[in-house]
Amino acid sequence: MTLDRDAAETDALLTDLYLDALLAGAVLGATIPRITETASGTLDPAARRAADRLRHDLVRVHPSFRFEERLATRLAEAAVAMRMNVAAGAEGRVVTLRPVAPSDVDPLLFPPDDEAAADPGIGGSSGFGRAAVEGDPVRRARPFLIGGALTSAALSLAGAAYVAWRFGRPGRGATPMARAARAVREARLAEAASSVLTRDRSNRRRPD
Amino acid sequence: MEAAQRDPVAFDALYRRYLAQVYSYAFYELGDHHEAEDATERTFLAALANLGRFEERARPADGEGASTFRVWLFQIARNAVANQRRGRRRHPQAPLEAAALVADPLDLEGGAATRDDAAAAWQAVGRLPADRRRAVVLRFVEEMSTAEIAGVLGRSEGAVRVLIHRALRTVARDLDGRRPGAHRRSSGDKPA
Repeated sequence: MTLDRDAAETDALLTDLYLDALLAGAVLGATIPRITETASGTLDPAARRAADRLRHDLVRVHPSFRFEERLATRLAEAAVAMRMNVAAGAEGRVVTLRPVAPSDVDPLLFPPDDEAAADPGIGGSSGFGRAAVEGDPVRRARPFLIGGALTSAALSLAGAAYVAWRFGRPGRGATPMARAARAVREARLAEAASSVLTRDRSNRRRPD
Repeated sequence: MEAAQRDPVAFDALYRRYLAQVYSYAFYELGDHHEAEDATERTFLAALANLGRFEERARPADGEGASTFRVWLFQIARNAVANQRRGRRRHPQAPLEAAALVADPLDLEGGAATRDDAAAAWQAVGRLPADRRRAVVLRFVEEMSTAEIAGVLGRSEGAVRVLIHRALRTVARDLDGRRPGAHRRSSGDKPA
């Protein structure tokens, strides 16, 4: 039973090898025939003939130009709509940031590769260490959630800007001119208040 | 791929590159141009909508430019075709044999003999069980590697190899049974 299965797997493997050579033949040319001969020598002749025939007769079918352009237009419209949605808010959408050059990496934001490799939470278990990412810009990229994060960041920036403005705004200056202006203003307010009080008292004393 | 993930408008390049492959797969599976168009349209719209979910699984060892995008796209196509089939059960259409008339339209010299050969091959493939037929179409028409087919069909590479091997033997029996002892393309003789 096991021997039969092994034999079937071996046949399947030889067929696969032959098909690899057959399908790549047109591309790789001269290096392939030797492999093809080796594989085809042990392959069932009927299966080999069937493979040759399917290789020739199973052609790729192309859609009509009209269909191609119609679908292209529809996809373009959908893509533009998606782009506008992203520009409008992009709430909760996961995007991948472009890889960052090692010299530009902020050590506070990105742990060193050794640390990443050692920490399974960062990427040690997924092979995200130096060996895994070196020479692979795709894997250097990190997913980044925009939307909520951007909103909170924007609020933080707005808060910081407001506080800075409060501290820096004119009106609470400590210069002599500022103090003098404030004294004059406070004196005027006090004068206005006392005149209102005086008028009020005189009105109360006056009998109806 | 990355460009399309950053900007959906860049998806057009991927669409142009894979359109014929997806359409061809759908056509071999469904045997009807209109249904193949529907399945193709659904496939690409779904791919565009879910582009953000695609994760590149190719490793550096796979070679420069290696990508699993095609496998991902064909997984979507496979679902789209399956959905199309469910709809078809309610509205039966012509089988795959009818499609053989369009085979190799550029082969003018071969003429009728070529069309007959192609039709016989298409019919033999069309009679295969669904999983074998799918594997054969992906191998011969889309020229996918065993690993890619395994990814699309959700099977092991060994299982895919056995599927294709058995499919070839079945097709060989079918073709030889129809025209015993004659392989016209290799012998150059046309049987009476």
